[in-house]
Amino acid sequence: MTGPAFTGLIVKELWGHRRRLAGSLVAVFLGVAFLTGTLVLGDTMAKSIDRFFANAYAGTDVTVRNATTVTDMPGQLRGEIDGSAVDRVRAVAGVAVAEPVVQGSGQVLGVDGKIIESDGPRIAGNWITDPELNAYQIVEGRAPRTPDEVVINRATADRGKLKIGDRTVVLTPQRVPVTLVGITKFGEDDGFGDTSFTAFTLEGMRKHVIPGDDKVTAVTIRAASGVSQETLTERIRPVLPPGAEAVTGEELAAQDRERVDQFLGIFRTALAAFGGVALLVAAFSIHNTFAITVAQRTRESALLRVVGASRRQILTLVSAEAVAIGAIATVAGLAGGIGCAALLKLLFASFGMGLVAQGLVISLGTLLIAAPVGLVVTLLSALGPALRAAKVPPLAALREVAAERPGPSDSRIVIGSVLAAVAVGGIVWGALTESMTMAGAGAVMCLIVMVVLGPVVARPAAMIAGAPAARWRGVPGVLARDNATRSPRRTAGAATALMVGVGVVTLMTVFAGSLRASVEDGVAGSFHGALVVNAGSNERGGYNPRVADEVARLPQVENAAGLGQGAVRVGSDNADVRIADPARLGKVLALDVAAGSLATADTFAVSQDAADDHRWRVGSPVPVTFADGSKQTFTIGAIYRNDDVAGDYLMPRTAWSAHNRQALDRVTFIELKPGASAADAHKAIEALVKPYGTPEVQDRDAYIASQSEEMNAFLGIVYAMLALAIIIALLGIANTLALSVHERTRELGLLRAVGATRGQVRSMVRWESVIVALFGTAGGIGLGILLGWALTRALGNPFAAETLALSIIALVGALAGILAAIRPARRASRLAALTAIAAP
Amino acid sequence: MPTTGAATAGGARTAGLAKVYGSGDTAVRALDGVSVEFPRGRFTAIMGPSGAGKSTLMHCVAGLDSATSGQVFVGDEELGALSDRQLTKLRRERIGFVFQAFNLIPTLTARENILLPMTLAGTKPDQEWLGSIVRVLGLGDRLGHRPSELSGGQQQRVALARALATRPQIIFADEPTGNLDSRSGAEVLRLLREAVDELRQTVAMVTHDPVAAAHADAVIFLADGQVVDIMTGPTPARVLDRMGELGGTS
Repeated sequence: MTGPAFTGLIVKELWGHRRRLAGSLVAVFLGVAFLTGTLVLGDTMAKSIDRFFANAYAGTDVTVRNATTVTDMPGQLRGEIDGSAVDRVRAVAGVAVAEPVVQGSGQVLGVDGKIIESDGPRIAGNWITDPELNAYQIVEGRAPRTPDEVVINRATADRGKLKIGDRTVVLTPQRVPVTLVGITKFGEDDGFGDTSFTAFTLEGMRKHVIPGDDKVTAVTIRAASGVSQETLTERIRPVLPPGAEAVTGEELAAQDRERVDQFLGIFRTALAAFGGVALLVAAFSIHNTFAITVAQRTRESALLRVVGASRRQILTLVSAEAVAIGAIATVAGLAGGIGCAALLKLLFASFGMGLVAQGLVISLGTLLIAAPVGLVVTLLSALGPALRAAKVPPLAALREVAAERPGPSDSRIVIGSVLAAVAVGGIVWGALTESMTMAGAGAVMCLIVMVVLGPVVARPAAMIAGAPAARWRGVPGVLARDNATRSPRRTAGAATALMVGVGVVTLMTVFAGSLRASVEDGVAGSFHGALVVNAGSNERGGYNPRVADEVARLPQVENAAGLGQGAVRVGSDNADVRIADPARLGKVLALDVAAGSLATADTFAVSQDAADDHRWRVGSPVPVTFADGSKQTFTIGAIYRNDDVAGDYLMPRTAWSAHNRQALDRVTFIELKPGASAADAHKAIEALVKPYGTPEVQDRDAYIASQSEEMNAFLGIVYAMLALAIIIALLGIANTLALSVHERTRELGLLRAVGATRGQVRSMVRWESVIVALFGTAGGIGLGILLGWALTRALGNPFAAETLALSIIALVGALAGILAAIRPARRASRLAALTAIAAP
Repeated sequence: MPTTGAATAGGARTAGLAKVYGSGDTAVRALDGVSVEFPRGRFTAIMGPSGAGKSTLMHCVAGLDSATSGQVFVGDEELGALSDRQLTKLRRERIGFVFQAFNLIPTLTARENILLPMTLAGTKPDQEWLGSIVRVLGLGDRLGHRPSELSGGQQQRVALARALATRPQIIFADEPTGNLDSRSGAEVLRLLREAVDELRQTVAMVTHDPVAAAHADAVIFLADGQVVDIMTGPTPARVLDRMGELGGTS
């Protein structure tokens, strides 16, 4: 059937209609480009991280370290082991080199006297002299020789504007004055991800960071030639002190990689989900475009049928169009995806989330996912219209045909209503029973309902949305409303794409708003003091706990309590703990103690949630394992309800410090004396914290706002990613309008002939666009609020719809309608009256 | 299916053909027991007032619409027994069409439009036959043009060429001059006449126009779905008179 001649016909048809293909082409292109971009970015990150780990353990055959882990976070230091391990390992046959690794927290101050910001761990360690065991190498200057000399990695040096020869300070958290003698690189890179690494001599570490005894963090070992990692590990195991383990270099890299991969996996899934939203919106746009073009060429299809085309040939013609669009757009999208990945990288960076991603990795996997997805989405979107085209009877060529099927059928209304009831029921049920699965299933079903019920709702919705235009914009307004309502299927198709996009944006806004409200309310509810000293958002940063003591001695200050953070194992689970003097903390924070009392400094307290989960009461024993491997059973002294600041476990500082060096506070809460000037106190505290790396002094409002700062960045990224889906939806509306304008050429000509001005024609098209956009936006917002409510309820969070944000979304939606109409309106208004009427 | 060549077989006929639209009280009998013949190698016109069933008759004979009862033959083939696929093939190979308007695919050139039935069938055109058609229709210098670049008369000649290209057993022309000025209309009618006289084709034409009908060998008059008269050797005056008696508006 498809001889060369027929193929030629297909090509001719495609070329003849290339203008109407452009809109679909761009929609698929953007969707595929975005999907490809997210995949490329994920691969790039994975590759970069792999490279990091490969480098980190490249020369290490075996590592001896503490066997206890208390955290799932990658890159966290383990507890220390006995220093005697070094000599014992050195005595094992087959060990070529064994060097002690001594590491701890060390924060370098930049030229400005502030801690150099970095999102990764801030580590000080000994400079390992064996170059193969050391993942860093000196690229400028020299290795440290005296205890007061350090080298730092390039990225940290650049960020702190430090040069070789500069004198600066490392906070351990004590102030250690040092001289910078060298700059290091981590393999090819300026750092190990975002880790800041400061290297002292071993002597320097012992003197300043891990003073006193001969504990080490790890022993790193190189095997003699001919001895395998496994063999050497087996030999080392028997000589290890209790609580230590020996691990091969390969195993180490694999373990670290696995941990990072878990985080990366979530990130990739989230990215791909945004790609999916974009493609979904694109699919709706393409479907609508095809539905319209197929309807518009009903007569042409029928004529082909009259002169002898089979149904299959008509199907082939339309499908070929879809294949061509899919193929061209997908190929372009794959190429565009690389640029898109670079843009995404920039996007994350601009929101303060630097990604570990060097270069761009284009894997076969990306091509194998993105290419078929692009093609299949296009083909599936065009399938329905193509089948409809094939069903056109030859007789249709001889009739003045109605372009599209008229109003919605009864079965559509019935099925749609039933589905809608089930979907809403599922969502509400899921929300009330806090079941995510149920709510999620309801959400997916909502999509189907939108497709089924869209054309049913479109007419009344467009009537309502168009009422103001019809009322105040005169004849163009009335005509705009009538045009929007006359083919509900088309209006619904164009609006649905926007609805999906706006729906997801609204969902995210509601969700984030609720989360933010929950955090802010919690923090605001527990802290009523005036000022805080805040170490910032990096959980691995902090300052000397002496700050709280010194602040407390200021004349303006009534109470001050520091709060630190750490990790332990509770039973067999890793847990975050907050470290404080419970008695002092209880004075500045309203923890809402439900049982027991925080009266003494050695009280161990847990949150009501944790107590409920484990069926604990005051007096219950809680088995805790510290990072150094030692175990201690605490007795619950108090249970508190307000866990937004204090977390689930509140451990007395004395107990924590017995097993961990280098206690850091992340925040100090300050209550002023009655009548004391907040401004004076602010100034006094700022002066006081200068030697401690100048952590930020904030008033209560600024502190509360800072708690949701990360969420704002997250939301910013989400908005930017969803903006693409909205743009695709707009293209869909513009395309639909352009096709409608083309179809109504005669009608528009008639309007011009009877005296409509260009402005009136333009206004008519513009208002039609706005009506469709308003319909889509309103539907999306409604849907987003419903789903957002269900999601927050399912997660047990309070529901907060931020009116301002939602108003902005609505406004953007309406503006979008105007934007989408620019080109079609211009074309419509430029039609000369006569040519329009004479058009075939 | 026997492919009896156009040279040996042709024409079409109906026997007791009825077509009813709708059912019950709202049923409309568009054709009511029509038995007519479109003899091979002849030019037959179908006339009648609006709503007489002219177009329905043509659609049924052309296999575009199905009969409610009765039979339709194209050559020896009875259409009622054919599937959609077979009807498609029949239209492609044995029937040609010329319509009042919207005859051509706008994205294709005149030549491509003429070749369309063969393109769809995947068959090779008979170049010699095509050459003679193009010559008779005077399209030689227009073959590379698209429909939008052709006048109405030229478009209709291209449509006629397409209808002739497959050497069909019968060509149906539905108001072929309805959209044309009188000179172009006369030209198309002359060409239809030539197709019958010189190319030995069979033509059935639905028309309102007595002048157009007078180009035919015979005129079938329809009224209310029934054949009321068949006139041979028509002249414009006689056709006009007969139409007047039928109460036709023109």
